Amino acid sequence: MSSSINTVWKGHNLRRVLEHGTLAFLVGVLCLAAPAPAQDTDLRAPSSAVAGNAASIATTGSGTGTFYLVGPSIAVKREVTLGQDVQLSEKELQSAGTYLAIVCSGNCRSVGFFVAPAKPVNLTFLVHPSRAPVGQTNMVSGVALLFDEFRNLVLVPATVDFQLTAAGTAPATHRVATQNGVAWFHTNSGRSAGALQITASVNDVATRRVVQQVASDPCSLRIKGQRNAKGFIVETEPVRDCTGNPMPDGTIVTFTAKDSQGTGTVDAPIKKGIARAQMMGSGPVAISAASGVVMGNELRLGAQ
Amino acid sequence: MSYAWGRNEKIAMTTTKTMWANHLIRFGRLAKLIAIAVVAIALLAPRDSVCADSAPNVVLNTGKAGPRSVESPTERVILRDYKFAWANLEQAMESSSTAPLSGLFVGTANAWLTDAVASQRRNGLSSRYLNQNHKVDAVFYAPEGDMIELDDTADYDLQILDGDKTVHNEHVVVHYVVLMTPAADRWVIRQLQAVPQF
Repeated sequence: MSSSINTVWKGHNLRRVLEHGTLAFLVGVLCLAAPAPAQDTDLRAPSSAVAGNAASIATTGSGTGTFYLVGPSIAVKREVTLGQDVQLSEKELQSAGTYLAIVCSGNCRSVGFFVAPAKPVNLTFLVHPSRAPVGQTNMVSGVALLFDEFRNLVLVPATVDFQLTAAGTAPATHRVATQNGVAWFHTNSGRSAGALQITASVNDVATRRVVQQVASDPCSLRIKGQRNAKGFIVETEPVRDCTGNPMPDGTIVTFTAKDSQGTGTVDAPIKKGIARAQMMGSGPVAISAASGVVMGNELRLGAQ
Repeated sequence: MSYAWGRNEKIAMTTTKTMWANHLIRFGRLAKLIAIAVVAIALLAPRDSVCADSAPNVVLNTGKAGPRSVESPTERVILRDYKFAWANLEQAMESSSTAPLSGLFVGTANAWLTDAVASQRRNGLSSRYLNQNHKVDAVFYAPEGDMIELDDTADYDLQILDGDKTVHNEHVVVHYVVLMTPAADRWVIRQLQAVPQF
């Protein structure tokens, strides 16, 4: 009879079916139920925390619990006594942003709070370019960002003074209010080559940058030349831009000589305002010069 | 008292037992199907992020950026790198490893995240940023194109774990102010700072 019952009830298969079904059912129920910790409000967060300042979180209840603090640059775990305030040190609250405080004692309760940046003490100031040709529209630009001592971006609106000072001209000031923590300006470059000092300041915080204003493109190019033993030597008159600034040393002037043999070119850098080149050839020759987009006069030299 | 079963009685009893067995087998199969369905729902349901994960979903809008307008190739690269950065942030925070952070976060952002990961590891904690959605607006693009500021409204399932125990599980909406700058072949995050609102 026993074997008959076992055969009829298919005990092995039945147990397997029931066990698998029940197990899978329990797994499903647990999977749905497990990640749902209680979200009570038994913690009271600091109402106006500021970066770098100590604060406390009030707790209710009794006994002990595990306290967690998770912030932008920190994750803390420690045992606390419930019913007492949990003290948060200056160091634990240096980074501005959202924090999450959790206390677990049986179940877990949490509260979020926000830490605001402290007062601005650093001013990041980006200025472009480092060398600017004179007489160009909106050539110089600057961007200023305010940070507190913990490198938190200060988003509270502030007014930034940009002061531009160049030799021989009156200082110019731009006052710009920050938006989203950023203030910026752009301005024309001056008419004279030399250092342009730009200072960004907010209250007693200031940062200075220097832009070197240099001559713009050459305005005209005039050359002269003469025969010598090796061929002929050509040189420019002092090369200046259209506002009279001498071209910086290193600016390239290209001399081109055409004679019956063909065409030859020499690139010569400007030194102390003048570019000079020694070229070969004994027959009649036509010489021209160019620098950037400017062409010079044509110079003709007869045969040696 | 003894009771002797006849052949017919035995057959009748056997038939009854067979029916019950069939019912129970059917019930077992039904229970198994229900269980599979429950597990499938648990896997797919957004609230149960224990079993779910995906790459960050990032939408970038550069229409409001100024004073410089964002060029299309730049926009694509920023979108790519911002998305990649968040995927790596998630990985770093979950594994409590700083390796995924290198190269995508620099300056303050890197220092903060490195500290966060180190303190997590020290305390046996980890955190998960699951099912991320980021709605990102470019609000400032520097005249020389060397810095961009983004406002990111992010929502994700935040889980804090102490060892294997989940101590916090919440769907959160967080506003981030982000500063990114161009590096050699990518845009990197210099500042990633949560704010109460924009």
